Amino acid sequence: MYGNIAKKLVKSLALVAFMASTCFAFSEGSDYVTLKKPIPNAKNTLIKVFSYDCPFCYKYDKQVTPKVVPRLPADLQFRPFHLKTKGKYGPQGSELFAVLLVRDQKNGLKDKDLYSEKSLLKKAKMAYYNAYHDKKERWDAGPDAYLQTGLNAVGMTRAEFDKEKNDPKVKALLKEWDASYEVAKIQGVPAFVVNGKYLIMTKSITSVDSMLQLINELKSK
Amino acid sequence: MKPTEMFNTFKAAPIQTIAGWQDKRFLWILMAAVSLFMVILAHSVFQIWLYMRPCEQCVYIRFAFFCMAFGGIIAAIYPKNIGLKLVGYALAFWGTIQGIGYSLKLNKIHEAAHSDNPFGVQGCNPEPTFPFHLPLDKWFPEWFKPTGDCGYDNPIIPDGVVLSNLQKTITDFYQDGWYLWPPSHFMNMAQACLITFGICLLVLAVAAACWLLTLWRKHKTHEVSPHNYSTQAR
Repeated sequence: MYGNIAKKLVKSLALVAFMASTCFAFSEGSDYVTLKKPIPNAKNTLIKVFSYDCPFCYKYDKQVTPKVVPRLPADLQFRPFHLKTKGKYGPQGSELFAVLLVRDQKNGLKDKDLYSEKSLLKKAKMAYYNAYHDKKERWDAGPDAYLQTGLNAVGMTRAEFDKEKNDPKVKALLKEWDASYEVAKIQGVPAFVVNGKYLIMTKSITSVDSMLQLINELKSK
Repeated sequence: MKPTEMFNTFKAAPIQTIAGWQDKRFLWILMAAVSLFMVILAHSVFQIWLYMRPCEQCVYIRFAFFCMAFGGIIAAIYPKNIGLKLVGYALAFWGTIQGIGYSLKLNKIHEAAHSDNPFGVQGCNPEPTFPFHLPLDKWFPEWFKPTGDCGYDNPIIPDGVVLSNLQKTITDFYQDGWYLWPPSHFMNMAQACLITFGICLLVLAVAAACWLLTLWRKHKTHEVSPHNYSTQAR
């Protein structure tokens, strides 16, 4: 009789193991959603939508994204998008970040170097995170005070910035970044989008490895 | 009725007594008052006076308290009316259950935001989606537009604002965010809301159960009585 029970137990355990292995694959709705309005020209990219005014973006930029980006597949380009609609100085932040990203590119930084110490974008971003979230700075003096924080962090003058923000490359980047809003309003920021089509559900990310696994799967979908 | 008398009637027939209570206005008004007190405290004291900004989950929690307040007010119009009472119960139950969900979610976000493990939660969305797609944040932005971030409720004082001594003392007290006892970070806002909703749910469940039980008993005696009549008539 006990042998019978043991057999049943083994059978049901085997069944559970089988179900678990087939259910392991990521599923739409809980791990990711397909965007109704895909981001144009985003084949082979991982887009990260972020805002300086978002504590989880800060958390991710400290603990997650710097570990994920260098390990991305070679044929997947990493592209940061700043969300201009969040935060009082969202538009100013976007302009400065776009200027600095173009400068990083001119300095020969590849997309996967954007978390290296050489990146101006990273320097300014961290300066804003630190001021806003750690020091509770709100720049009530106005947009100029806001800009100064980022300019100081990268050692850029206001005149240089004012000139470079009219660069057609910067303008084009800002225009592309406008797609951020439609993505951000689905589940907030940070938001990660693979191939401009698949938005990762941030709450289902359990580790750096699981995030990379999901990105890899969505990439070849 | 004297308190001792009240206690004796309660002891003699607890279920009927509780069922009797929810036919009176007192409990309904109490529930509405507690809910309104919580929302007004959050809005007028913490948000306006102490510059602590509401987050996405916080405005949902306000919505849940408003549901309970409306339920209480509607039932209190005439608690003996079964229709009004049902509307009151429906709104109140729905509010507490939703509120518990929002509080649990906020607590999870709060823990993640204050730890080194940001996984497993989603931060706040500045674009709230209320039940039934009610555009409450557009209609009443002062009350329902999230301006803060989930897990962070520290007072943020705009430049140029001169605080009174009292305001200064209290905002300093809450500088690490809202806690029931800030110096030791004891019980965050989400946990405090969870307990409030939990107590409301418990009270509601007991009241509703006693009411249904008495209704069912009455129904049973009614079912028996016609038979008795007929035997008597014979």
